[in-house]
Amino acid sequence: MTNPTNPARGAVSSSARLFDTENLINPYPLYQELRDAGPVIWLEAYGLYMLPRYAETKQALEDWESFSSAGGVTMNDEMNEKLRGGLLCSDPPRHDALRKVIERPVTPKALSQLRNRVAEEAKELVIRLVEQGSFDAATELAQHLPVTIVSDLVGLPEKGRERMLAWAPANFDCFGPANSDRTKAAMPIVGEMVNYAFTQCVPGKLKPDGWAQMIWDAAERGEVSVEDAPFMMNDYMGPSLDTTIFATTWLVWLFAKHPDQWQKLRDNPALIPSAINEAVRLHSPIQNFSRYVAKDVEIGGVTLPAGSRVIIAYGSANRDERKWDNPTEFDILRRDSNDHLGFGHGEHNCVGKNLARLEIRALLTELLPRVERFELLEAQIFHNNILHGLQSCRVTVH
Amino acid sequence: MPKATYILPDGSKNTLAVPNGQSLMEAAIHNGLTAILGECGGSLACATCHCFVEDAPGPLPEISDHEDAMLDMTATDRTEQSRLSCQIIMSDALDGIVLRVPDEM
Ligand code: HEM
Ligand code: FES
Repeated sequence: MTNPTNPARGAVSSSARLFDTENLINPYPLYQELRDAGPVIWLEAYGLYMLPRYAETKQALEDWESFSSAGGVTMNDEMNEKLRGGLLCSDPPRHDALRKVIERPVTPKALSQLRNRVAEEAKELVIRLVEQGSFDAATELAQHLPVTIVSDLVGLPEKGRERMLAWAPANFDCFGPANSDRTKAAMPIVGEMVNYAFTQCVPGKLKPDGWAQMIWDAAERGEVSVEDAPFMMNDYMGPSLDTTIFATTWLVWLFAKHPDQWQKLRDNPALIPSAINEAVRLHSPIQNFSRYVAKDVEIGGVTLPAGSRVIIAYGSANRDERKWDNPTEFDILRRDSNDHLGFGHGEHNCVGKNLARLEIRALLTELLPRVERFELLEAQIFHNNILHGLQSCRVTVH
Repeated sequence: MPKATYILPDGSKNTLAVPNGQSLMEAAIHNGLTAILGECGGSLACATCHCFVEDAPGPLPEISDHEDAMLDMTATDRTEQSRLSCQIIMSDALDGIVLRVPDEM
């Protein structure tokens, strides 16, 4: 890593503390300040660069040769070392081979066979919650499909699986900078998760026709190496739970705050994909990852030196006034909402986005005819270095 | 405005006026045809806008490699007539085009 006291010429130095709790709770004013300060920011507190605007974020995500994932995508060396080998932290051509295996169960054809099962499950759940009248959208509504159906499909051993909801966010906390207290506190919990992957997620203990077992089968056929397989176990569970849960919860929260938008969706349910995009744009469940600068590269008029690390701020890019009209407005008819970077972009764009969309669509489809409006009773923000979501969102439906 | 006809899985026919420059996936969505899902918003990532072109009054855009790869993964098997409707952009030359929406997306 470069000397933290010596940023590249042209980068704007900032003392912003992105990973302090108050900024994790509401990062948006700080993002705006940083976007206005310049396209390339040097964060003194962490010794990391940051690209707060849309154009540079997109450019970096399209240039994996300069902005490498194999050098790690978290903000600290220890975690980058731990994750080395998985899909998330690899570059082509290795990335292509791993991706082929991971994406097999979530191709359009494979997903279409899931759609009915997910729809039925969603219907039962929504009928029950609507009868109940009031519920916590963050837990009772949003957790059900990822935790029951998806976990079952992945087929990890029952023993320990219930810990996933604690492990997955801790895993993301560990993506934070080395000197953040949240990062340090979460490290031991991730140890548990890694141990689980290596000792429990092995053939014989996995569901025979599950997605996790399919990774071992692929290793047996030589499509990936046997050494890679344990690292890849995390590729389904780690990024699939809270992301989807938070996107679902934000949607309910947004529709509670904007009944006119809910009415628009009721008038035309075909707009569901745009509504999902707009929620993921405005409240991106994954706010920041990073890239390792593999060679000197010019971006935003600054030459970033090889060996430095740069924060990719999906959540800030998605609100960049240079890209979006009225960026803070929730508008399900927004024409270019599909351009958001909340599912990533380029080589590492989210493998599971079609699965996430299928789950969220199923819930919205059942809610639309049964709910005229959501009344927000109480909502509480979840604290995490990377994830941005609500840990509770109590609503009454009318 | 040029028109496009969608034959839905239940056999019903819907004819829509589609502005030039709009994709046939977008036109379906904006007119509430939920049989076309258009899950990825037209970025060639979902194949849930798959249609069979029953009648094309003019030449369709070439199938790109990317579209070709996605067509190999559609829920309802592809045929000679298969296209992703997000890749068909309306123009006067396509006035009267007829698409059949497959049963399975
Ligand atoms: C709303 C829900 C979701 C959001 C917002 C989301 C967001 C993201 C983002 C931003 C990335 C890019 C990472 C990068 O640039 O390095 C990503 C990658 C990834 N996501 Fe998702 N995700 C969601 C759901 C899921 C689900 C359900 C799965 C389950 C299969 C999943 C699996 C993955 C994997 C394996 C990658 C790594 C892809 C690669 O490195 O090639 N995600 N996701
Ligand atoms: S809308 Fe997704 S491929 Fe056409």
